[in-house]
Parts: sequence; C-alpha cells; structure tokens
Amino acid sequence: MRKQLPPEMLARDSRFVRTSIMDQILDPRNRKISERTIGPAKLAPGRPASADRARNLMHGIFTGEIQALEGAGRTAFDFDETEAPFALKLDMARQCWDEARHVEISIKLGEWMGTEIGEFTEATFLYEAACAPDPVLRLCGVNRALEGLAIDVFNTMKEFGDVSGDPVLEFCEDWMLADEVTHVKMGSDWLRRLTADDPERRERALDFQRTVDKLFSLGGFRGETEENPIHLARKMREMAGFSTTEIDEIAELSELARAEGQAAVEAAGSA
Amino acid sequence: MSDPFKPRPAFAPWDRRELPGLFDVEESARRVGAYKWIETRLFEALGGWIATVPELDVKMILGRHCYHHAWHAELFDKRLPELREMNTDRLCAPANDAMEEFVEALREPDAPELTIEKLVGVFRVLIPRKIAAYTFHLNGTSRVTDAPTERSLEFILQDEWNDWREGEMLLQSLIDTPEELERAIRRQHELEAIVVRAGGITGLGTIGATTEVEGAGV
Repeated sequence: MRKQLPPEMLARDSRFVRTSIMDQILDPRNRKISERTIGPAKLAPGRPASADRARNLMHGIFTGEIQALEGAGRTAFDFDETEAPFALKLDMARQCWDEARHVEISIKLGEWMGTEIGEFTEATFLYEAACAPDPVLRLCGVNRALEGLAIDVFNTMKEFGDVSGDPVLEFCEDWMLADEVTHVKMGSDWLRRLTADDPERRERALDFQRTVDKLFSLGGFRGETEENPIHLARKMREMAGFSTTEIDEIAELSELARAEGQAAVEAAGSA
Repeated sequence: MSDPFKPRPAFAPWDRRELPGLFDVEESARRVGAYKWIETRLFEALGGWIATVPELDVKMILGRHCYHHAWHAELFDKRLPELREMNTDRLCAPANDAMEEFVEALREPDAPELTIEKLVGVFRVLIPRKIAAYTFHLNGTSRVTDAPTERSLEFILQDEWNDWREGEMLLQSLIDTPEELERAIRRQHELEAIVVRAGGITGLGTIGATTEVEGAGV
C-alpha cells in the first residue's frame, strides 16, 4: 500500500458526488441568494429553509466524518515511529474508532432528518488537511483546526436541536461534541510534545492551523454574529484547551474570511 | 457460624492452576514482543486501508477494528517492561524474515477494487493465526506466574473472535461470483504459503510444533 494517499484517490461508492470548495463558494448564484432579504443566517426553526439547511449541514458533517476517519487512519499508517511515536499512532487509532462512530451517527441522523447519502455533494478539503507531510501539521490542521470547527458545528446543531424540539438531534450532537473536545486536546498535547525542542516546527504547524481555520471560515460560514450559520463555541473550546487569545484570533480570522468571501462573490457576480 | 480462624486450603478446590508453565520469563517476553509487532503492523494497515475501500460498511468496520488492534499492541507494550524488557522496541520485531515478508504481502493491496484481497489477508489468514498463537500461549503459560499476560490475552482473544466473525461475515457478503471466490482462495493461498514458512506469528513453535520449516529465514 502506498504512503501518502492523495485526496483524488479517496475511495467512494457510486452514491457520492465530489465537488470543489471553491466552486461552491464562487458559484455565481450565491450573489443572488445573498441579495435576498431572508433574515439572519443563523439556524433557526422559524425560517422556512432551516430544515433543508440543517439537512445539508448534516450531510456535510457525514462526509467530513468519513474524511476525518480516513485522515486519522492514514496518520497511523503513513509514518514510521521516528516520525510519529507509537503512542501517537495509538491515539490516531482511537480517533479512527471515534470517527467511525460519528459516521454511523451521521448516517442515522441523516435518515432521521430525511436525507439520503449522496443527496448533497462532498468536498474533500478536510482530508486535504490530513495530507500534510509532517504529522505535527496534520495534528494542527485536523485535530486543532478542523476538530475545533467540529466543536462549533456540533454545538450549533445541538442548540438547533434544542430550540427546534428535536431531542434525537440534540442527543447525538452532544455525544459527538464530547469526542471532539477529546480530539482537540489530543492535538494540542501532541503539538506540545513533538515540538518541545523545535520552535520553528511548532510555528510552521500553527501557521498551517491558521490557514485551515481561515479556509473553513470562508464566506462567513463561522463567526459570532447572527449572520454566521455556525457559531464559535467559546465555552466548549476552552474545555478543549484553547486559550482566550487563540479563540479571539479564530474570531478575527473568521471575520476576515467573511469579508474576503463577500468580495469574491461580488467579483464572480460582476465578471 | 464457622470458625474464621480454622485453617483453610490456600487454593480453593476448583482452582486448578499449576506450576510451572511452558515459558520462562524470556520466552514469554519474546512472544509478547512478536505479538506487539504484528498487532502494530495490523492496526497501521487497517488505518491506511480505510481511505482505499469504497464500501461504506467496510470503511467503518476497519476504523473500529483499527482501534481494537492498537489497544492489543498497547497492552503488550505495557507488559514487556514487566517481563524485564525495559527497551520495548528491542523485542517488538518480526519472528523471522518470512514473517516480515508476510506482513509486507498482507499490506500490499491498495486499489479500491481489492477489498476482498485486503479482508482475506486479515480475516482468513492473520486473525486465525493470532487466535491460534494466543490460545497456545494462554493454555501453555503458568496461570500463576504469568497471570498478567493471561489476563490481557483473555481480553484480546475476545476481541479477536468478535472481529474475526464480523470480518468473515463481511467477506461472505462480498463474495458473490465464482471469480470473486477464486480471488479469495488465491489470496488466502498466497499468504498462507508465506505464513507456513514463517511457522506462525512467533516463528517455529508458535503453537508448540517444533519441526523446522525450510525458508523461514531464522
């Protein structure tokens, strides 16, 4: 089996349809949608499109969990023990089990919400963060940035389950949220251990994390206002070991990404 | 009321554990090191394969089993220093060249069309071999002196049986045509041929037989 499996080689059955994140963001139809006055972007049960948006998001969580499962598995396989210590590989194997459960939960939740596998497209950007050649970069890009985003997503969905009267959604998201806090802590712990004597490597990894954080905030997807579908879960992030400064930095990156995304949509629309 | 000071036998009548066992400390450590090596190579392979199999159910099961074998490797890793092996990497090694060749062959399939080959290697060749080796150890070691190894093996064997059953059922559900059956048989034959040369996962004498096998590379 080859080491370093590129994203285009991820194996899927015929139900899955792959798309690019940039195609999604730069879709010229987005401009028309953004011009419609339909109220705040935050998921709220009173909005007519909220059920469809929640189903879309749930499908995105499902494909994201598959890629998180694949990424953790590859990190267990791609490196020898001089690059990734035995204990790190054990943690990655544990994460495989957790992510496999999340895929199971996502499939069952999707069915509960009325969604079929393949109803929405799949972008592979999560797995792409798990293709970095340095395991520390993977831990920062996946465990700290993306699993951190998962904390925000699951917390938002849990709150949506609560306000929309869906105890199944609330229950499942709460359990997945617990695992994600563990995965973020795992990433932070290994970042410290593997870069204790190498501040330059640590800074490279944190830079990579910032890039991924910004990418995943594109178009104002995540933030702290009513205009952001996904809300930054400050309390849960603190539990996972993020400092207030780090959370503030993510909030700033998110705002910057929102402005850049808006400009890109406008540019695409006028082209 | 019975007299609490009346002497009782040190061992209950139903406790049939005996001294000594088949293995001294050194031999038990050597075997445990080989177990850790094979469990580690297996969980790495299962982790790597997750991204390469298109079948969603197989993908999720590989993720779960990946952790099971990592946990086994961790239990064996923790046992090694208790068996006077302070450098746990020293004994974490293949039993012989043939065993290394076997693992290389086992982990070789990559393409998404080769799920049957991947699963046959794990569930029809390696896991049955592990069950045999662990059962021999369990039955042969002193359950008094080597009780910590015995306890780990009991937990691990339970996992191995469950995982083998699930993997075998996956294979039965995937093998539908004569061509697929032929692929499965061919793959099993290829890998068995190597593991027979290796003598099992701990080399010659894995399950007690001591006949030397030509080509094991010991």
